[in-house]
Amino acid sequence: MQFESVIVGQELPEVVKGPMSVGHIVRWSAAMENWHRIHFDWRYATEHDGLPDVLVNGSWKQHVLMQLLSDWVGEDGWVWRISFQYRGMNIPGDTLTAWGRVTGTEVAGAYGVVRLEIGMKDQNGIEGSPGEASVVIRRENGPAVPYPFDAACLGRATA
Amino acid sequence: MTVASESTDAYLTDEIRVLVGQKSEWMRAPHPVEGSEVRRFFHATMELHAKYIDDDWAAQSRYRKRVAPIGFPVHAFRRGPLDTDPLERMDDPDFDGVSRSFRPGLPPVPIPLPGILNGGYEYELYSHVHHGEEMLMRSNYASFVEREGRSGRMVFIAIEDEFRTAEGRPLLHSVNTMILR
Repeated sequence: MQFESVIVGQELPEVVKGPMSVGHIVRWSAAMENWHRIHFDWRYATEHDGLPDVLVNGSWKQHVLMQLLSDWVGEDGWVWRISFQYRGMNIPGDTLTAWGRVTGTEVAGAYGVVRLEIGMKDQNGIEGSPGEASVVIRRENGPAVPYPFDAACLGRATA
Repeated sequence: MTVASESTDAYLTDEIRVLVGQKSEWMRAPHPVEGSEVRRFFHATMELHAKYIDDDWAAQSRYRKRVAPIGFPVHAFRRGPLDTDPLERMDDPDFDGVSRSFRPGLPPVPIPLPGILNGGYEYELYSHVHHGEEMLMRSNYASFVEREGRSGRMVFIAIEDEFRTAEGRPLLHSVNTMILR
């Protein structure tokens, strides 16, 4: 992908996960050694914490958002900055869709910086993880984005 | 770095305020990046990519070697072989399973609110960690903010983390907001 082909309003190919099950949640919790009871102890989650069910880990969702962006920029680009809030709770049975939309573009040094809004919606379209991101991509006939990435290559980029 | 509140603080005592800005030492992950933990990570996120599994592909890429997913370091500072068993307190019906020492090397946050949620992250990303590399992390409590929520008082804790390899290559910088309620 080249910077010159990116337009404001462009939507990224979505990344869809699910339907999520207790198995998906426990697989992540075990892999990360995350012992927060709300992710595996139904009685604790519902009776003690008053939640509707065990919850899909926010720590898991963030990597799906990173996947959304890294898939889009490809091996020529770099996911520079990403931020998001966990505002919604997701439970077993939910299907989660990570999405992104271009909100701005900027030439920075020899590279292109693309700003995006991102998020993750459930099967009912309810947004649970709104956020923003900035990615760096190659310009037509420009050099490859340096790796490891150093933002000094962007000069005075404001993204 | 701030300590702020919208009204009279119930939980942000002087004992809490002095924690703002305190930095941990550079803490070393308990072991180098292992192929099995990388596999379990991308299996759990359901993200299969050659850069995680294919030595030949990686050798021809900008990475030169197989890598772990970009966010992998955030979860790699696990329980060490001699660390306390986090399940020891599971017979306590009010124990939620989460340490209030939010990062290795940081002091605990003695706020007596029973619930905890992850509020979100801000990341700046620099490079992937390779299989076999050792990682270091340094953390600090960046801010504490107390607010009145729908279900009562809440305290937002911002934790800033830096991750790098043992050789000094930057991996990522993050600010994580944890919510006590």
